[in-house]
Amino acid sequence: MKILLAICFIFLVNCSLAQTTIQGVVKDQKGETIPGVNIFLKGTFEGTSSEIDGTYILETKEEGTYTLVFQSMGFKSQEFEVLLNGNPQSLNPILREAINEMTAVTISAGAMEASDEKRAVVLRPIDIVTVPSAMGDIIGAFQTLPGTANVGNDGRLFVRGGDATETAIFIDGLKVGNAFGTTASNVPTRTRFNPNLFKGSFFSTGGYSAEYGQALSSALALNTVDFPVRNQGDISIMSVGGGYTQTLAGEKNSLTASANYFDLSPYQALVKQNFDWERAPYGWDAEVSGRKKWCKNGVIKAFVHTEANGMKIWQPVPGSDERGQLVGVQNQYTFAQTSFRQLGENDWSYYGGISYSNNVDKFDLGQMEMRNQNQLVHSKLAALKGFSEKFSVKTGIESYLFNYEEALISEDLKRDFRDHHTILFSEADYYVNNRLVFRGGIRAGHSSLAGQSWLDPRISLAYKFDHEGQLSLAAGQFSQMPVEQLRILEQSTQNTRADHLILNYFLVKNGRTIRAEAFYKDYKKLITYEVAQLFPMPLGFDKIQQNGEGYARGMDVFYRDQKSFKNTDFWVTYSFVDSRRKFAHFTEMVQPGFAPRHNGSIVVKHFISALKSQLGVSVSANDGYTYENPNLPGQMNSKTKSFQDLSLSWSYLAKPNLIIHLACSNVLGRDNIFGYQYANEPNENGVYEGNPIKLQAPRFLFLGIFLTLSKDKSANNLNNL
Amino acid sequence: MKKYSLAIIVMMLYSLMTQASNEAYEKAMLKELQNMKTAASPEDLQKVANGFARIAQMMPEEWLPDYYAALALANAGFRSEGGANVKDPLFDQAKKYVDKAAKISPNNSEIVALQGFIIMGELAVDPASRGQHLSGLAMQTFGKAVDLNRQNPRAIMMLGQMELGMAQFFGQGPEKGCGLIKSSLELYEKEDASKEDGTFLPTWGKEIALQIKQNCQ
Repeated sequence: MKILLAICFIFLVNCSLAQTTIQGVVKDQKGETIPGVNIFLKGTFEGTSSEIDGTYILETKEEGTYTLVFQSMGFKSQEFEVLLNGNPQSLNPILREAINEMTAVTISAGAMEASDEKRAVVLRPIDIVTVPSAMGDIIGAFQTLPGTANVGNDGRLFVRGGDATETAIFIDGLKVGNAFGTTASNVPTRTRFNPNLFKGSFFSTGGYSAEYGQALSSALALNTVDFPVRNQGDISIMSVGGGYTQTLAGEKNSLTASANYFDLSPYQALVKQNFDWERAPYGWDAEVSGRKKWCKNGVIKAFVHTEANGMKIWQPVPGSDERGQLVGVQNQYTFAQTSFRQLGENDWSYYGGISYSNNVDKFDLGQMEMRNQNQLVHSKLAALKGFSEKFSVKTGIESYLFNYEEALISEDLKRDFRDHHTILFSEADYYVNNRLVFRGGIRAGHSSLAGQSWLDPRISLAYKFDHEGQLSLAAGQFSQMPVEQLRILEQSTQNTRADHLILNYFLVKNGRTIRAEAFYKDYKKLITYEVAQLFPMPLGFDKIQQNGEGYARGMDVFYRDQKSFKNTDFWVTYSFVDSRRKFAHFTEMVQPGFAPRHNGSIVVKHFISALKSQLGVSVSANDGYTYENPNLPGQMNSKTKSFQDLSLSWSYLAKPNLIIHLACSNVLGRDNIFGYQYANEPNENGVYEGNPIKLQAPRFLFLGIFLTLSKDKSANNLNNL
Repeated sequence: MKKYSLAIIVMMLYSLMTQASNEAYEKAMLKELQNMKTAASPEDLQKVANGFARIAQMMPEEWLPDYYAALALANAGFRSEGGANVKDPLFDQAKKYVDKAAKISPNNSEIVALQGFIIMGELAVDPASRGQHLSGLAMQTFGKAVDLNRQNPRAIMMLGQMELGMAQFFGQGPEKGCGLIKSSLELYEKEDASKEDGTFLPTWGKEIALQIKQNCQ
């Protein structure tokens, strides 16, 4: 009975119907009022919202002690104990800003991100494939970004006075060995991977995260597509070849397989070439990639790419009217990797994987036949822990296995080396608030072959202003082993080193992007050598030493605008690089041939709805390349005339599932010269005769027809980006 | 005997309390649904969303409060005249609510259709740079919603809307999109006829369908 009484009593109390009023104003730390705050008594249906001026009135019939909650987007929730007893109360909370990954400051020094995430990024993945001068090569698009130099006779990525080997390329966090196709000297190469494979990229021209190493100048991290949205088949027919891709998309897994073939012979038969081809470049590739969701919050991806290609070219010998030297190149390449990501409990997440690259090159120089093989196994395991929304730490362990072998088949000679790197990296991010972030990291490594251990510290910070612009500063040390071709000769070589200092300003607002950056890079322990012969391949290295040094300093500006002109997107880039270094066979500080001082580019894309077409124009120019004329005193004593290129492209969406793409490089047919090649010996008059290094043809014309077959008739080749 | 009476009392009390809570739930839902009808500005819709969020924290097993919180915020996003910095947080918050609803009630055509509606909102913020990426995703999501329930007029109406947008972009005829809008209107009629009181199931979207239909004639 007592219990019953007690229950009745409770009900009576509940029914006593006294009303309590709580009122006040909600403000943030800056004293500004916050509208739309959800204000409620925990465990009841009672609540209200703050008005536009931040005021609120909560009237409740509840009695007793309750928790009053203030909840608003972008702020941390606050709770107060309140005693409801009929007396009016006043409560004026100050809500603290929550760290919002969407609007918080990001470290943008050195970095250019292309992503579909909503955060401020420089480019979208689709922008990359539609740059006219890129001709579908992912690297071609990066060459229109600040900090890069266009070295047309090479095709690889040259960043801020660094040579092409100073850029490391990663796919889903794992290193890609020999990412560019093998080629004969002065025949430009391309990346091996189809740009449609990637959903985003992170291109850093310096000061990058401790997660990346063995690159003095630049890291390019490419992320593969997560889950394609539908089953589809893509057919591509191009002026240089064709291919087919089949995508099978399931709820929890998907599979994409593709095969492509290219042969430049028919094209070269139609269009006159500067080069004397014995066999135009040809090749095939096949690719399979699979993705699977596992457990609750995990993804596992696997990817295999294999290809074979070749070419045979007559390279003219300076001072001779004959056909010259016949150079045959054959390349076989495989890249395989598997990677995973897993979200754990308590703000832990894990990722990692293993990749294998195998590159076999055969060079046939007539009297000499060479074969070299480069293998790389990279494995990585990293964990990320968010200790609070402000503080997180990323730690990882990596292993690199290098295996390089060189054989002179004609002489039956062989040599090789193996190296194993063990790496430990750790990086901490600390957000003071949404405006200020600090990042500190270290990368420690050990090389078994060089017997060297190293420790590279890196720091950066960024501050976001009221007007949404942000300023970042980054500094760090970067280590990289010399190229295999030199290490095999001098196996005790140690890391070359670069120190970076970067100051960056970045603003994205209303469809416009401004990015300006100043940098200083200091090189130490660069490799120097004496070389017996430079043509047709540098041979006979001697006196390999590490007493080279150098610097690169300068600034670059990037402006992109998608708003000012209707249906038009354009960007303008200017980079100034002042670089001098003592390296390779130079005995004094010189401006390298791959580091023009003034570089600029303009890319314009205009969509014409009536024609269902996108027109693209890109212009690139620089002030010319340095080269060494042995007839003149001094080293690197000459400079070519300015390089200029105007490329046009036209993409026509004939049907929702049919894209026709036409592009032409160097429309004006300018005779660009990238340097001169001189004879090894002077002629009877005592003059070294030279040949200009040019492009393979004044223009390159590309026609592609891309047809997508799927149940959804509006799907096309670009949908998966 | 004493033990039994205690148990009975506790059970009675419990059922009384759940009943009370159900009544409160229904009352609160009715009130917020009414508010949603009259809400005009994004600020009003934010308040409505707050109301549904309060109900959601009391009724963690019901998907409807989270669903309506998401719908109110998505509508706030569509109606807001601000830039991406104003609209994106609204759609982001809407996503959080709709994903919570999807966890409570998986494979629910209405929830999937609302997920698509939110994607459409994000797309509308910046079609030039998000179009390629999000239009495929929106189509796929609406397709999934239709597959889950071919009688869901909202899923069919929004799929039709997307089809019309695509057809316009590619200069094709509006037949397919208009066909979908027409069948969605038939389903709306059916829905009106069979509407039950007190279920709070979604019924919105007929006005939008009617509006689009005008462009079809």
